[in-house]
Amino acid sequence: MDLASFVYLGVTFGLFVIFALIVIRTYNKKNKDKGEVAKYNMLDDD
Amino acid sequence: MEKQNYNYAIVRSFVVWSMIWGLVAVLVGVIVSFQMVEPGLNFPPYLTFGRLRPIHTNAGIYGWAVGVIFATFLYIVQRLCKTPLWSDKLAKFQLYFFNATIIASAVTLLLGYTTSKEYHEMEWPIDVMIIILWVVFGLNIIMTILKRKDEQMYISLWYMMAAIIGVAILFVVNSAAMPVSLFKSYSAYAGTNDANVEWWFGHNAVAMALTAPPLAMFYYFLPKSTGVPIYSHRLSIIAFWSLIFMYLWTGAHHLLWTPIPDWIQTLAMGFSVMLIAPSWGSVFNGYLSMNGQWHQMRENYLVKFLILGITFYGLQTLQGPMQAIRTFSAFIHYTDWVPAHIHMGTMGWVSMICFASIYFMVPRIWNREIYSIPLANLQFWLILVGQLIWSISLWVAGVLQAGMWNAMNSDGSLTYTFMETMVEMYPYWWARAFGGIIYLFGLVVFIYNLYMTVKKGEPTAVTTATAEGRV
Ligand code: HEM
Repeated sequence: MDLASFVYLGVTFGLFVIFALIVIRTYNKKNKDKGEVAKYNMLDDD
Repeated sequence: MEKQNYNYAIVRSFVVWSMIWGLVAVLVGVIVSFQMVEPGLNFPPYLTFGRLRPIHTNAGIYGWAVGVIFATFLYIVQRLCKTPLWSDKLAKFQLYFFNATIIASAVTLLLGYTTSKEYHEMEWPIDVMIIILWVVFGLNIIMTILKRKDEQMYISLWYMMAAIIGVAILFVVNSAAMPVSLFKSYSAYAGTNDANVEWWFGHNAVAMALTAPPLAMFYYFLPKSTGVPIYSHRLSIIAFWSLIFMYLWTGAHHLLWTPIPDWIQTLAMGFSVMLIAPSWGSVFNGYLSMNGQWHQMRENYLVKFLILGITFYGLQTLQGPMQAIRTFSAFIHYTDWVPAHIHMGTMGWVSMICFASIYFMVPRIWNREIYSIPLANLQFWLILVGQLIWSISLWVAGVLQAGMWNAMNSDGSLTYTFMETMVEMYPYWWARAFGGIIYLFGLVVFIYNLYMTVKKGEPTAVTTATAEGRV
């Protein structure tokens, strides 16, 4: 594997870390109610 | 709630034009399916399979699907953000430029100008037009989102933004080319790099044009049609980010067993299998949103389209990862199995969602009740049966073809010549053409129903059950 391959895999891994942080934030107990508000608000756009 | 001055005129225009291009796409599709069984129907130089086939695919993707994306995004963004469009003038420009681009594409393809890159056949001047079009569209949507009234963004808006940004990046990177004349250019990439970039574009066009936008529509129109919220907004957010994270690495599954580096192929294979999770995250979210509402499958034609649509998405995203596994790919790649996969996606998943979205919007943007719900139900069955005949016949054909290609005699020679394997395909290709005609008929019923709605439909109070589809 050359340098380009390592960069490719490095970017993949970096994105994975960002993704993991998003999961933790979304499923954090503190954000539970806030995370579901939008689905009720959207019904009320008429 | 404060009354907003939403721009529905532009939505109406995109609905009409997308249906016109959709009709062209399906009509040309039926013609090319007959050209395959009856070669005498090719009329060189313009009306040959080679020239008409890209017109079919491009009219389908860029005329029909993107046309509905424009219509629905411009509708949804105003509703969800509770604010009118950022710029009506840009939207109008987008409409004219969209049709100019589609017409220019069709004419140049008929004349034989092509880059020969699949789903990116148009030559560089049209690439420039497409980029301008997309920037204008994207700018208008993103600026409207920025002036939204609610802080929390509903999941549809996330998918819409992903589609806008994703398509822009993919298209620009894959367009890189050196023009040598007005209608001829050479790709900026060479050899396997070119193939890798092309399929990175190709598969993510599936992700950003044929997955993210229909998901945006599904998440908006399902709860609107049933009257109950989606099961979990947080699940939809996680499914969204994982889909975005995974899709970008899967393009090379189109290039298994080719000279591109083995590790890229393996990475693509791994990520393709992982894609089952986010895809089914949305499928489960859709099904679970129907808890206590399944009776609406019988009573509400919109729900039928939407739930069948998401079901085909689920099937598509199980079949796709299977095809991305090396051993399976070795069997089905280059066979008729693959077009069957594509058409379950386009005629089943994408179009079912587009039909439902248009049916939902029409009573609201024209203030007319749908002319005939029995006709909408008839259309549902016609497109379902047409698509199933199409796909099932070509899955069977694909397996037969693969079996015949791989059959060997005891001395190691091939059992069948290529011509013998082709001759076996004829009954299946006839069945496909027949399925296509049924689907086309369904589309004509759809267009007739909407035409009559606009011409003769009863004026509607949009909050009535009929306008919601609940009848
Ligand atoms: C998890 C999701 C999916 C995966 C992993 C996947 C995988 C694949 C693979 C491996 C192929 C190449 C088959 C071959 O040539 O051997 C393919 C082709 C294709 N798929 Fe899917 N698929 C997925 C979902 C979808 C969806 C939702 C659509 C929507 C319409 C779609 C549309 C297509 C198209 C248009 C092609 C044909 C490309 C060509 O012209 O060669 N796929 N898919």
